[in-house]
Amino acid sequence: MTRREWMLGAAAAASARLARADAPASRVAVERCRTYDSAELVPAMERMFDRLGGLGRLVQGKTVAIKINLTGAPTYRLKYLPLEDTHYTHPRVIAAAAHLMGKAGARRIRIVESPWSTADPVEEYVLRANWEPRDIIGAAPHVEFENTNYLGKGRKYSRLKVPHGGLVFPAFDLNHSYEDCDVFVSIAKMKEHATAGVTLSMKNCFGITPCTIYGSGAGVDEPSLVPKGGRFLIHSGDRQPSKSAPGEVDPKAPREGEWRVPRTVVDLVAARPIHLAIVEGIKTMTGGEGPWVGEDVRAVAPGVLVAGLNPVNTDAVSMALMGFDPMALRGTLPFERCDSIVALAESVGLGTRDLSRIEVAGASIAEAKFDFAGMRRERQSRPRPRVGIRG
Amino acid sequence: MSAPGIPLRWPAAWADPSLLRLVKGTAIDTLLVDNSDELEGVREAAPQQGLRVVHPDVPPDGVTVVKGEWPGVRLSRRGADADAGPTGVPWVDSNGWQVRLAKALHPDSAVWVEAAPPKADFRFRAGAYLTAVADAAAYGGRWLVTLEDALAADLSDEKSDAASIWKTIMDACGYFAAHQEWEAWEPAALAGVISDFSGENEFFSKELLNLLARAGLHYAVWPKDRVSEIRGVRAVIYADAKPPSAELRRRLQAFRARGGLVIQGQGDPYEIAQNTALRISHRYDLVRFWNAGAAGSYVSKSPDGKQSVAHLLFYANRAPDEASVRVAGKWSGWRASMVTGPVRVDGLRQAEAIEVHLPEVQQYVALELTV
Repeated sequence: MTRREWMLGAAAAASARLARADAPASRVAVERCRTYDSAELVPAMERMFDRLGGLGRLVQGKTVAIKINLTGAPTYRLKYLPLEDTHYTHPRVIAAAAHLMGKAGARRIRIVESPWSTADPVEEYVLRANWEPRDIIGAAPHVEFENTNYLGKGRKYSRLKVPHGGLVFPAFDLNHSYEDCDVFVSIAKMKEHATAGVTLSMKNCFGITPCTIYGSGAGVDEPSLVPKGGRFLIHSGDRQPSKSAPGEVDPKAPREGEWRVPRTVVDLVAARPIHLAIVEGIKTMTGGEGPWVGEDVRAVAPGVLVAGLNPVNTDAVSMALMGFDPMALRGTLPFERCDSIVALAESVGLGTRDLSRIEVAGASIAEAKFDFAGMRRERQSRPRPRVGIRG
Repeated sequence: MSAPGIPLRWPAAWADPSLLRLVKGTAIDTLLVDNSDELEGVREAAPQQGLRVVHPDVPPDGVTVVKGEWPGVRLSRRGADADAGPTGVPWVDSNGWQVRLAKALHPDSAVWVEAAPPKADFRFRAGAYLTAVADAAAYGGRWLVTLEDALAADLSDEKSDAASIWKTIMDACGYFAAHQEWEAWEPAALAGVISDFSGENEFFSKELLNLLARAGLHYAVWPKDRVSEIRGVRAVIYADAKPPSAELRRRLQAFRARGGLVIQGQGDPYEIAQNTALRISHRYDLVRFWNAGAAGSYVSKSPDGKQSVAHLLFYANRAPDEASVRVAGKWSGWRASMVTGPVRVDGLRQAEAIEVHLPEVQQYVALELTV
């Protein structure tokens, strides 16, 4: 770590201590759910939402945007397993959420995601993952998909400013869907992450950035017409976004993904606040966010659902359910090499990660805990396996 | 002598007629031998083994030769890295579209694919030669077996590595010779491409066939003068610059009236291929792959419609070991094989498809399906 990075880190830690005391805290609901069978899943989600005060007061008469997680190509599986059983938000969870929101009076529900390197409709993308998009579109009235990896159906990009000024970016140019909604929901998969330690409701929002502006193939002056490649630009800072969009607050800030990604996520969540955070951990994987991370990954079935109205609180509880300490900082499991998104989010006042201030409703953390942390320690105690793609 | 079977371009360095032992008992039945004096002994001895000998520049009657590319993931000038295509996936060179076009234009001919291993600063492995055989044979053609000079030299020196590669090539040739009935099976297709494939339409129509295959869209090739009633596909691309004849227009209108998609006119063939796949929708994909790397497929069905074969081609040097493949259709049975024999696979029946989980496989797998 350079002196500059140390000073930036120290400043963040100092502001964290100040922000921690008054960072918002709200109830987080936890439900055990072993299967994606509608008979078990829908009542479990309904109970969870009821514990948060009911969906009606949140979505009735409103336009809802639901950010799902379809990370990686739809043709890339962990062994022979369906993508939704390991690293994609499960379509039945998406459909159940849409169904319950429709029942609660949502006016329009737009399912948003920025699929890997394509401007194809999300419906076409998920067909290649072997999903039936009609199951989601038909779950409630007025459900639609939008690919937010480019301009999409909008006339122009929406500029959303970061209220705290930004740790990396002061504002973002995003697909219109992130502005044209009354309620923003993040439905994440409960996973570890190679760059960010864990990926939960906040990290899920990394994918709201359009690759036409923030991707490897982004236009230099103006956004490209179609997205190409991933968000290496944000990870490494090897170049700036298209000049039409706001550049970095400090172009001399560290160029290290483990520093940049957590901060960019916090900026995004501040710019586009999450009203309802849902973390799906019925079936998922350990060892990383997708099968490409390495060969030391495997499918697991924690059988848990988490939801909250504050994403920092929700992610803190989710971390605890994974066996991780949400108070951990860089150098400590699961942030061995990166900064903590929940700590940074708390430091700018988005929410507390202090479990003593968060009310957990439904199943207790002890009851629903699934030991990702223990598996991580066990993996770290073994020689590192080779990494690579076959075929 | 029967119709020409599987051809071998006899290496110039193989002057010793005793090397004919290499092809004895294999599926090779035609040798392309040049007129040099050194090969006189070979030319004399080969017919005594029942082999047909022809000059390389004069293919036998009943054969259409297409000039192809060495199939596989395209190599960069440095040899080791793969070029990326517009979608970021590796760019695969395949001769399948050329074979299918030649068969459509010359239905009574055998199709030979001439595609020699390119000069490279490395040696091609057995998998690359298997790909060369399968990339032609899966579509009903035959690769004109052509060896690297170094491989030919090692074979004459009886080196074991070379013998292993030769065995793979002969296994592959033998496998397809044993399944000749597949050559007459009709393609399963989502789109039909209508053109005269010549003159001002040649470049666009051929590029379109090439790019439709890369888009993973299964198509039928329909020479314009032989189009009868249009059935069995979801879309038709009329790929010629000039408008269709009155009769063909009537057939296209009837197809459209039945709900078919008609795409007419020329443009950027890449965009038309990609947009056609999207407009038809991936919902109707005949084949979907997972963890297959650079893969291709061709599905054909028996004349009675009761059997199909999905030819699965994996173009990377190292074939996949945990790939899944879904083939659309209501199948009651399935079995998989490689050129070396049957492969045990797990299959999951889905509503309108079968999903098969492949173990570690070679570059080619045939999935035989029963309705």
